[in-house]
Formats: sequence, structure tokens, C-alpha cells
Amino acid sequence: MPACRIRRPLYGLLFLVWMIVGFLVGCAGIKKFESTDLPKNLPPAIELEAVPFYPQSDYQCGPSTLAMALTYSDLPITPEALKSQVYTPSQKGSLQMAMIGATRRHDRIAYPIFGLNSVYPEIAAGHPVIVLQNLGLSWIPVWHYAVLIGYDFIDNTVILRSGITERKVMSLDTFDKTWARSDYWGLIVLKPTRLPAIASEKDYLSAVFGLEKSSRFQAAIEGYQTALTRWPRSLIAFMGLGNSLYALGDLHGAEEAFRMAVKNHPGAAEAYNNLAQALLEQGHKQEALATAQKAVAIGGPMREVYEATLKDIQSKE
Amino acid sequence: MCRIKRVEKVVSILMTLILVIIFAPVPSVLAAMVGTEAVLVNQDTQNARDQLRSFLNREDVQSQLTLRGIDPAEAKARIDSLSDAEVMQIADKIDQLPAGGSFWGTVLFVTIIAFVVLVVLELLGYTDFI
Repeated sequence: MPACRIRRPLYGLLFLVWMIVGFLVGCAGIKKFESTDLPKNLPPAIELEAVPFYPQSDYQCGPSTLAMALTYSDLPITPEALKSQVYTPSQKGSLQMAMIGATRRHDRIAYPIFGLNSVYPEIAAGHPVIVLQNLGLSWIPVWHYAVLIGYDFIDNTVILRSGITERKVMSLDTFDKTWARSDYWGLIVLKPTRLPAIASEKDYLSAVFGLEKSSRFQAAIEGYQTALTRWPRSLIAFMGLGNSLYALGDLHGAEEAFRMAVKNHPGAAEAYNNLAQALLEQGHKQEALATAQKAVAIGGPMREVYEATLKDIQSKE
Repeated sequence: MCRIKRVEKVVSILMTLILVIIFAPVPSVLAAMVGTEAVLVNQDTQNARDQLRSFLNREDVQSQLTLRGIDPAEAKARIDSLSDAEVMQIADKIDQLPAGGSFWGTVLFVTIIAFVVLVVLELLGYTDFI
């Protein structure tokens, strides 16, 4: 069987090539901090002195940092009040997802931040950043949340509210090393009426969607409306706005949002589908029927859903 | 005997009721609505496909592909036949490549595409050399 003899070495060779490619690509992904990469047009030094300080008690850095960020976003709260929502006693700490979840439960947008260069513009825009540091070694981790409130490019330092220290000045190099060990996990806590300094449409809307998913519909509506001030044609924002209004029972408001979606995106079948449903529930059967037919005509990966909607409308005639 | 039967009857009716309540289909109001999450995901995969296509349209990428004996048009057709999850994976790889279209980045990317094209060809049964 000569074919079999060819097979094996080629398999091995391809695997080897793949491993090498993976390794190289992996390496390329790791980017060390370089001061030449600094974004321009930023003040050389800034400190957000208005960020309150709650000294942490044992292992309570999660609740205390979140309380600082929430209080700063006009929602006064104590670390004690957050403890049950964030702290996991068996872990003697707070998980990142719990921090994000608790932020949403207080009607605030949890916007993720990665890396030093995305931090400076946020601080300059008045948004303190909760960072997860590993103050130990990579193999003896000492995880710690702190709030980054300032930086100084002249001294090459950053300023943190950390543990029981109200104003901790740390060298940029040390901060970079301790933060890198958490893959630069950072979080900003935003009122739904605010945008991050540097926001991508998708990241911001994913963060707002987190509010919708946690059933904080009113806050989600505000977030989607804020998104529309920056990206006035965003399909996701219109859809999210319509769905959140629909969830609150505001059929007319939902209808308006879906109408804006189809106006700006005539090829968005999902928007026609939801518009049809909102119309049907308000008793406008004729227009609902025509709208659902449009959705089916456009089709796409969710065609079955549109067909079900159409069938539903037809059955009610 | 009779009493036991009566108890049995009551218990069985109760159990039936509980079962019916547990497994009764809950009519979902949102059944006909497309959720925001689906729109988010859709747009994501659409962006990933667009990104891949524009990458394959780059001249340096095309010349690298030709150098490896792969017809760029064929590579594009193969990419179109990948599932959403696979496209996202490749797009993620591109994101990790050094920015600015450096020479080595292009070579790496082309190697990835070449590998994908090979695997797809193999899976579709066009070739049998793996």
C-alpha cells in the first residue's frame, strides 16, 4: 500500500508546519509596552482626584474598587453593600464576571479595557479604570483589584487607589508587569448616557447589550440611545433599542425603533421581522403582513424565524 | 385496602398534575422576535468575512498565494464555503498578525490561508494527500 506510506510523513510535516505557524503567530500577538507607542494629544500628567476612596478590609478589593467606581459615576454605594454581589468567600476574592455583573445590576455599563494605551485616553476623559493586577509571581499569584486614577509621563508613574493606600504611586514599568499577568484586564464603569473616550461600535454595543441581557431595560435603552448619538445608523443600536422597548411593553416605541432600522438598513430582514411583530401586537395586521413578507423575501440565515412570524400573522386573519 | 387505593389515587393525580405543570410548554412572547444578540453575532461574522475578502484582494497576498500555486479566486471560493465559526477563527488570527501589512505578516497569513485551502480541499474530497 504505497499510498499509506505517503500519508504519514505528510501528516507529520503538516502538523509541524502548523505548530510553527501557531507559535509564530502566538509570538506576534504578544506586544510589549513601548513608550514610543504612546497616543498623542494627551495631557502629560493627570490625576482624577474626585474619585472617592474606600479602604479595603480583608480580601475585599473587589467590592471596594467597584464601590469607588460606582460612587464616582453618581451612584453612592459602600463596599459593604456590594459584598454579597461580588465577593466569593470560597475563593477569598471576586471574580471578574461578578464585577461585570454587579456593575450591570446597578444600571451602569461595564466597558472592558485592554492594555496601557487604551487606558490613558480614558483617564484623560475622566474615566477611572478598575484593573486586575497580579502582585505576586506568575506561579504564586496574588490577585488584586485597584483603581487607576492617574498617570504622569514625566515621572513615568501611575497613580492608583489600591488596598488601604489612598494614593499609591507606582512606576509605569512595575504597573505594566503586574497588570500584564492578568492579560491587561480592565473595566470602566459608565453611566448609560456616557461614551468611553475610545469606543468601537461593536464593543460599546456589546457592553450595552449586557444591560439588556440582565433585564436592565431602561438603562439599556439609554445606552442604545447614547450609541446612536455617535453611530447614528447603527443597526445593532436600533435593534437593541426596539427589543428593549418591546420588553418593557412599549410597542409603539419599539415600532419606531424598528422603522428607523429598516429605513437605514433596507436589507435588514431581522428588523422587518421585529417590526412586523410589533405591528401585529398593536392590531395593524395588514401592514404587519406586508412587513413580514418583506422579511421572508430578503431571507438570510434566520429565514425560518421570518417564515414563522409570517405564518403566525396569516393564521390570525 | 380501599384506603391505600384512595391514597394511591390522590398521589397519582398529584404527580400527574406536577408533571403537567413542569413540562407544559411555556408560550414565549419573544418567540417571533429576533434578539439583539443574534444581530450582534451576525454583524460579527459578516465583518470577519469582509475582512478576509479584503485581505485576499490585496496584491501582495495574491502574489504570495500564486507563488504557492494557489489560485486566489479558488482561495476566495474556499473561504466562502467555511462556516461562521471557522471564518471567525481565521479572522482572529489575522487580528493577531503584526499590523501594517509587513512582509512576514503577509507570508504568515498566506501560509494560514494555504493550510485552510488544503484542509477544505481535503475535506471536500478533491484531494487525498494528507
